[in-house]
Amino acid sequence: MSDLVLKDVRKAFGKTEVIHGIDLHVTDGEFVVFVGPSGCGKSTLLRMIAGLEEISGGDVVIGDETVNDIAPSDRGIAMVFQSYALYPHKDVYGNMAFALRHAGEDKKLINERVRKAADILGLEHLLKRRPKELSGGQRQRVAIGRAIVRDPEIFLFDEPLSNLDAALRVQMRVELLRLHQRLETTMIYVTHDQVEAMTLADRIVVLRDGRIEQVGTPLELYHHPRNAFVAGFIGSPKMNFLAAERQGATTVTTHGSAQIEVPVEARDGTGPVTLGIRPEHVEMVAPEEGTLSGEVLVAERLGGETYLHVDLGNEEPFVVKADGGVMQKTGERIGLRFPPQALHLFDEDGTAFEHRERHALIA
Amino acid sequence: MTDTPDTSRSRRGRSKSWGTAATVHAVLLGYTIIALFPVIVVILNSFKNRRGIFTEPLALPGPETFSLEGYSTVLSEGSFLLYYGNSLIVTVVSLFLILLLGAMAAHALSEYRFRLNGILSVYMILGIMVPIRLGTVAILQLMVQLDLVNTLVSLIFVYTAQGLPIAVFILTEFMRTLSRDIKDCARVDGLSEYRIFFEVVLPLVRPVLATVAVFSMIPIWNDLWFPLILASSDATKTVTLGVQQFIGQYTVNWSAVLASLSIAILPVLVLYAIFSRQLISGITSGAVKG
Amino acid sequence: MTDATTQMADRRPTRRRRRRAGTAHIVVFLAPALLIYTIFSIYPLVESLRLSLFDGLDDGSAVWTGLGNYARLLFDSNWSVRFWNALWNNLILFFIHMVVQNPLGLLLAALLSLAPRFGGAYRTLIFVPTLLSVVIVGFVWELILSPLWGVAEGMLSAVGLGFLYAPWLGLEDSALTAVSLISVWQYVGIPMMLIYAALLSIPDELLDAARVDGLSGWWIFWKVKLPLILPTLGIVAILTYIGNFTSAFDLIYSIQGVLGPPDYSTDIMGTLMFRTFFGQQTQIGDIYMGATVASMMFFVILVGVTIYLVGVQRRLTRYEM
Repeated sequence: MSDLVLKDVRKAFGKTEVIHGIDLHVTDGEFVVFVGPSGCGKSTLLRMIAGLEEISGGDVVIGDETVNDIAPSDRGIAMVFQSYALYPHKDVYGNMAFALRHAGEDKKLINERVRKAADILGLEHLLKRRPKELSGGQRQRVAIGRAIVRDPEIFLFDEPLSNLDAALRVQMRVELLRLHQRLETTMIYVTHDQVEAMTLADRIVVLRDGRIEQVGTPLELYHHPRNAFVAGFIGSPKMNFLAAERQGATTVTTHGSAQIEVPVEARDGTGPVTLGIRPEHVEMVAPEEGTLSGEVLVAERLGGETYLHVDLGNEEPFVVKADGGVMQKTGERIGLRFPPQALHLFDEDGTAFEHRERHALIA
Repeated sequence: MTDTPDTSRSRRGRSKSWGTAATVHAVLLGYTIIALFPVIVVILNSFKNRRGIFTEPLALPGPETFSLEGYSTVLSEGSFLLYYGNSLIVTVVSLFLILLLGAMAAHALSEYRFRLNGILSVYMILGIMVPIRLGTVAILQLMVQLDLVNTLVSLIFVYTAQGLPIAVFILTEFMRTLSRDIKDCARVDGLSEYRIFFEVVLPLVRPVLATVAVFSMIPIWNDLWFPLILASSDATKTVTLGVQQFIGQYTVNWSAVLASLSIAILPVLVLYAIFSRQLISGITSGAVKG
Repeated sequence: MTDATTQMADRRPTRRRRRRAGTAHIVVFLAPALLIYTIFSIYPLVESLRLSLFDGLDDGSAVWTGLGNYARLLFDSNWSVRFWNALWNNLILFFIHMVVQNPLGLLLAALLSLAPRFGGAYRTLIFVPTLLSVVIVGFVWELILSPLWGVAEGMLSAVGLGFLYAPWLGLEDSALTAVSLISVWQYVGIPMMLIYAALLSIPDELLDAARVDGLSGWWIFWKVKLPLILPTLGIVAILTYIGNFTSAFDLIYSIQGVLGPPDYSTDIMGTLMFRTFFGQQTQIGDIYMGATVASMMFFVILVGVTIYLVGVQRRLTRYEM
C-alpha cells in the first residue's frame, strides 16, 4: 500500500557527500528506527524523506510515487521534532488544527480530528493552553497530537524524546508503542539512544558516516551483529572486545594466551581478530577455573546488579555484569568464563564471522 | 534579561555592607541628577515669564512667574504641528520599511543556503561601519536627478538605507537562534515560504523587532543633517530642523526658545517612558553585544 | 482504522501535489532591502569616491584630476590648514571620549551590575540624554553655560567655586573640551548599556567560583569581569571612533555653527565637509572638494576600523560563556 522505498539516496553539501547511497524498504505499518552516533546522517536522511532537505541523488518513493520533487506537505507525512516546534502564538487546539486549517479542511472535520487526537493523548483539558504553559511531556504530546491530526501515511520522529527527563522518556516510549499499535501507521524514528531503538523498533537501521551498517530486528542486531561497530553500539553496557590471534578455522588465542573455541563458520587462514562478548553473558568463577582472570578495578553497584570492571591487562577494563549480591570487592581476583554461543568474532576490518547457528529467538 | 540572575544578585546585594551600598547609590544618584538636570531646568523655565527665567532660573514656576507666553509664541509663530506631522510620517514610514525589508532580508540570510549568502551578509553589514553621511554629496545629486529634493520621500529612502544594515545584522543574529524545527514543521504543514515568514517567523521575532524599531527611531527623529540638506523647505521641515531654525530666529525671546525646546523634548520623553523597558531589555538582551 | 482515516484515504488520489519550493522566494526576500541599501547608501559612497577624483570647470563640466583634490587638501595651504586642524580636533574629540565617556560608562555599568535598589530607574534615567536630539542638547547646554542666563555660574558660586566659571563655549582654549564633554554627557548611556549587558552575561557560577577562590568585590571585577568584557570595550571604542566622525557634526553645528568657532577651534571633519560642499560666506560650494573631504573621512574611518579589526579585536579573546 504505502511502502517507503529509498533507492540509492545520496546527499551532498557542496562537494562533501554526507549520505552515500542508502537503499531501504520500509513496509506499510512498520516501526523503523534509525540509530547511530551523532553526525552519522540519520537526521539528514529523515529530513530527506520529509522533503525538508533536497536529495542530491537517488529516489524517495512513497506508495508508488517518487516524491523527490514534491513539497513536504504533500508527501503524506507528518513529523514530530526534537524541540517540539509548537507555534508559541497559538494554543494547543490551534497548533493541532493548524495544518488542516491551512489546507482549508471543513471545520467540523478539523474539530472531530483534533478532539480524537486529544483524546488519544489525554490532552482534552489542555486545548486552550499556550505552549509556554505546558510541561515538557505535555508539549511532546501536543507535537505528537499535531502529527496524528494530519492522519499521515508515515510518521517521522526526529529524536522526539531527547529533551525529556529520564522518567518521562520511559513513559513516553511506552505511549509511543501503544500509539503505534493503535494507529498501525508506518513510523520512522530517529534516535541516538540504542535503548529507545531496541524497545521501539520493529526493525533498526544502524547508520554510521552516511552508510547503513546493518538493518534488522532488535534481537538480530543484538545476537548477530554484522560487524564490530554494530556490536559495540547495540547493548548497554557495551560489548567487551579482546584482541586475539586466529589459530585454526575457529580457534583463537587471546593475549592472555587462553585458547578459545568460537562456534562460527570456519574460514581459512590465521591472523589478528577481535573477540567480542557482552558483559551480561560473561560467567564469573573462581580465578583458577576461569578461561581468563583478572583483578577487579571498580565495582559499580546499582542495587539489583553490579558491574565489575576487571583488569585483563588491556587498555580498557573488561566489564562483567554480575548479580547485585556479589561480594567481590576492588582488588580481588576473579575468573571469567565465556559461553561459546555468546562469543562474537570479528576480522581485521571488523566484519563479523557468521555464527554456525542462529539464536533461538530469531527464526 | 531573565529573572534568575537578578534575584540571585540582589540576594548577594543584601549581604553587602551598608557603606558600599551607600557609595553605589551616591554615585548613581549623583550622575542621574547630572543627566536630568539640564532637561529639567529647560522644561521648568519654559513655564515661566521672562523675569522668572532670569532672576530665579532654578526655582519652580510660582504664581508670579508662571506664564505660558513662550508656548503661545511658539504655537502662533512656528508651524510646529506641520513639522510634527512631517517627522511622524518620515519616522513611521522609514521604520516600517526598515523592519519589513530588514526582517525579510535577515530571514533570507539566516534561513536559506545559497551561494552568495556569505558575501551578501557582509555587504549588508558594511553600512554599520561606513556612515551613510559620507555619501551626502552623491545622495544630493541623486535626489536632484530623481526630482525628490524637498520631499519627505527622499528622507524616507535615506533613513531606510541608513537603518537597514543594523536591523539586518541584529535580526539575522536573532533569527539564527530560532528553532529550525518550527519552520520545518510549517513546511510539513504546507505553508509557502512567504507564509512561513509572515505567520511563523515574524511573530517569533516580534520582541526583537520592537527593539530594532526603538533603536532605529531615535537617530531618524533626531537627525539634523539630512533634513537640512535634502528637505529644508517649509513644507517638509522636520521638528528637529524646525526647532533649530526657530531658535535661530528667536535668540532673544528666551521663553519662546525654552518652550520650543520643551515641545521637541516631550514627545521623545513620552515615547521613552512607554518603551524604555523594551529598549533597555533589547540592548541588554545580547542582540547588540556584537 | 478510524472513520477519519478512511475518509482521508479516499481523498488521497485527488490530492493536489505541489512541487518543492524553488529559489524565487530568496530573491523576493532579499531584493527590496538590497536595492534601497545599494542605491541610497553604497552607490552614493562609491560615487563620492569617484567625484573626489574630478574637478569642476566654470562651464559646469567635470574634468579628471586624479589625486589632485587630495593633494590640494593635504598640501595646499588654503585647504591643508583647515583640514589638519579639523582632523586634529576630531582626534581630540575622540581622545576625550575615550578617557571620560568610556571609563564613566564602565563605572556606571559596574555599579549597576551590583543590582542596587532602583537600579532599573537609574539605568532608565541616565539613558534619557542619549535619546534627545543633539539640536536640543546643544541649545540646552548653550543656555545653561551662557553668561547671560548664568545658571552654571550661579551654581558654581553657590558652592563657592564661582571663580572657576568662564564662558567655556566661547573661549578658544576650552570650546572643544566643552563641546566634547557635552557630547559625553549625552552619549555615556550607550557604553553604559553595552558594558552593562556584557557584565550581565557573565554567569553567576563564575563569580561564585571566584568568591570561593577567595576573591572579593574589587578583585572579582578586576581579575574576572574586566577580562571577560574586554571585547565589548573594544566594540565601544570603535563605535566611539566612528561616531566622532559622524554624529559629532550635529552637536557642533547646533552649538557653534558651521564655522567651528571660535577661530575654528571646534571645526571638525563633518563641519569642514559641510562648508566645503555647500559653501559658507565668502567661500563657494564645491562638490568635488566636498566629495574629497568625505572620502578622506572614509579613509580615516577605514584606518581606524582596520586597526581595530587587525590589531585590537584579534587580541581580545572572546570567551564562551
